Amino acid sequence: MTLFSSAITLRAATPISDAEFKDLRDFIYQRSGIWVDEKRKYLFENRFHKRLATLGLKSFDEYVKLLKFDPRAGEEMKTLWEIVTTNETSFFRDIKQLESFQKVILAEVLAEQRKKGRLELSIWSAGCSSGEEPYTLAMLIAESLGLELPKWKVSTTAVDLSPAMIAKAKEATYGDYAFKTTTEEQKKKYFIPAGAQWKVKPEIARMVGFQQMNLNDDAAVRRVPKSQIVFCRNVIIYFDDAMRTKVARAFYDNLLPGGYLLLGHSETLHKISTAFRPKFIPGAMAYRKE
Amino acid sequence: MPRIATSALKPGMVLATEVLSRDGRVLFTAGAALEPWHVQVLRTLGVDAVEVTEPTARITLDHAAEYARSFFLYVNPDHPAMQALFEIAAERVLKRAEQGWVLPDLDTRQARSVEHLSDVFGPDQASAKEIVRHETELASFPDLYFRLKEMLDSPTSSARRIADLISGDVGLSAKLLRLVNSPIYAPVTPVDSVARAVTLVGTDELATLALGITAINYFKDIPAELIDMETFWRHSITCAVLAMLLAKRQGLPPERCFTAGLLHDVGRLLLFKKLPYASTEVMIHARENFLPLYEAERILLEFDHTDVSRALLAEWRFPEAMAGAISGHHDPMAAPDPRTASIQHLADIMANAVGIADGGMYAVPDLNPAAWDELVMQPTELHALMVSFDGQFERTLAAFL
Repeated sequence: MTLFSSAITLRAATPISDAEFKDLRDFIYQRSGIWVDEKRKYLFENRFHKRLATLGLKSFDEYVKLLKFDPRAGEEMKTLWEIVTTNETSFFRDIKQLESFQKVILAEVLAEQRKKGRLELSIWSAGCSSGEEPYTLAMLIAESLGLELPKWKVSTTAVDLSPAMIAKAKEATYGDYAFKTTTEEQKKKYFIPAGAQWKVKPEIARMVGFQQMNLNDDAAVRRVPKSQIVFCRNVIIYFDDAMRTKVARAFYDNLLPGGYLLLGHSETLHKISTAFRPKFIPGAMAYRKE
Repeated sequence: MPRIATSALKPGMVLATEVLSRDGRVLFTAGAALEPWHVQVLRTLGVDAVEVTEPTARITLDHAAEYARSFFLYVNPDHPAMQALFEIAAERVLKRAEQGWVLPDLDTRQARSVEHLSDVFGPDQASAKEIVRHETELASFPDLYFRLKEMLDSPTSSARRIADLISGDVGLSAKLLRLVNSPIYAPVTPVDSVARAVTLVGTDELATLALGITAINYFKDIPAELIDMETFWRHSITCAVLAMLLAKRQGLPPERCFTAGLLHDVGRLLLFKKLPYASTEVMIHARENFLPLYEAERILLEFDHTDVSRALLAEWRFPEAMAGAISGHHDPMAAPDPRTASIQHLADIMANAVGIADGGMYAVPDLNPAAWDELVMQPTELHALMVSFDGQFERTLAAFL
């Protein structure tokens, strides 16, 4: 109805055919366990639009072929995961869950280790994104152990699908956005200023090791050291039921007896696994391996 | 105000202050949009830099369209109605930007911290039915609502009795009178009593509106840090006005569609109340994954706000025709009356598209093609509908605030 209406067109992206969508979806699933619902077809067109243009590709078929057969595939996978996965995270996110975890779960696990005379703690952070979560866990552990900390061997295996996120996590340097759920006090205690940003203190960073990992890769998953605690927050929502069942099983196998699995705020093992014993802690649910 | 070197000036930039020649004459006035010849003159005269207005003030249709597009990523871009709504959204963004609105960037579109909020239910405990039961057992719903409902259902209730009942509630009658005096009804002389409003609008129609307003008032105490309630009502009233305009076009009772539009997201209000932290997680998930809110609800909670409204409205014994349209607005073809649900469905999508220029932050839901066919409309009619909408919306909104 106005002069310029006809000048703009909603369709901007290269269309994806049903067969191409299925191919790309299956490829992503196989390499990551992430399930892309049919309803996100248009979202996919839009998300990959620029990438196809950058690579000079005319169709999604060419893109899937590149991912499967081209020598550039390895390099392209890095970009693929940046497009497919999102990384909303911040230090001390969901503080109610973390406080309960520290007071109840961590306290119990530490006491158990002391009783055994084994001052070791092993944690697996699955889907660690840019590192905020495993570093937060290391901070909570440092706080709980206090002066005992030097006597303990604490190691966190933090994994993520995206190599870009792992690289960022290893840098351990963060801007304001990562601190939106962090108090000034916590910031001063665990970080040192680095220009306009903040860097995780070395005594905290030392407790965390990062590696790229596809949770759908059974062999890689089996190589993760046995843990007392597994954190996997806001990851399984991206999986279908089969993949959820599979990772729940992998976490179970990885945990030492008496160990705990913690999921994201709205995630549950309901309908996925009955192997764990659910334990309600204020603000969250923890799943215990008996 | 940025001072830009003459060598870096680009056509289209706007002068913030006038440019004087060496002898003090005004060469170009403030507000002039630079064209290549301006730049040539400045260079020739040896003016090395000029002040230009902030770049955000010079947004073009392309900018506005790109901004609007980032909310249309989830929808079928080849559906002609979606194309029309995209044009509407982009035009409105452009208009707002020309009035000085600075388009929010991604960071300012993120949710604020709500770390202090606790949910009533833990994980694994919440279902739509449980949430509704918790609410209806705990809090008593206004008596006025049930008396209105009784009169609406009774064949013997008179206009007089309904007018008396409504007049007994000062806040309610004030809102109704403002609404009846708004451009929706556009009375020739101002309506100053509920009794006159009944004769103008009709007994059932006025009681229906009163029922909706009473139900809405019930939720006025939602924590402000969770959601900006003005934004919420703006969306609800936008949907209500659009649903009413669509209803008139379809020859359906406009008041019922207006009231259903007003209440279409009532399930979300109860979610905010019972699961504030989970609701925030839903909002974050929706934004970071470019999903409509109800999709994010289904993923995180395994139910959505229409499941909540279905249980809630049944508990309130809300008139079934309206309840069906409200709870069917995301799946209209499965509703008992697909046509009225399709009206709510389209009105909600339109309200989302319109809301982009008001700072809306969520992906526009996709249009159900069967629902669109049910309404037998041409995409160009959507533009015409917006003209009527703009003539009525602000004063309707004012009736509620």
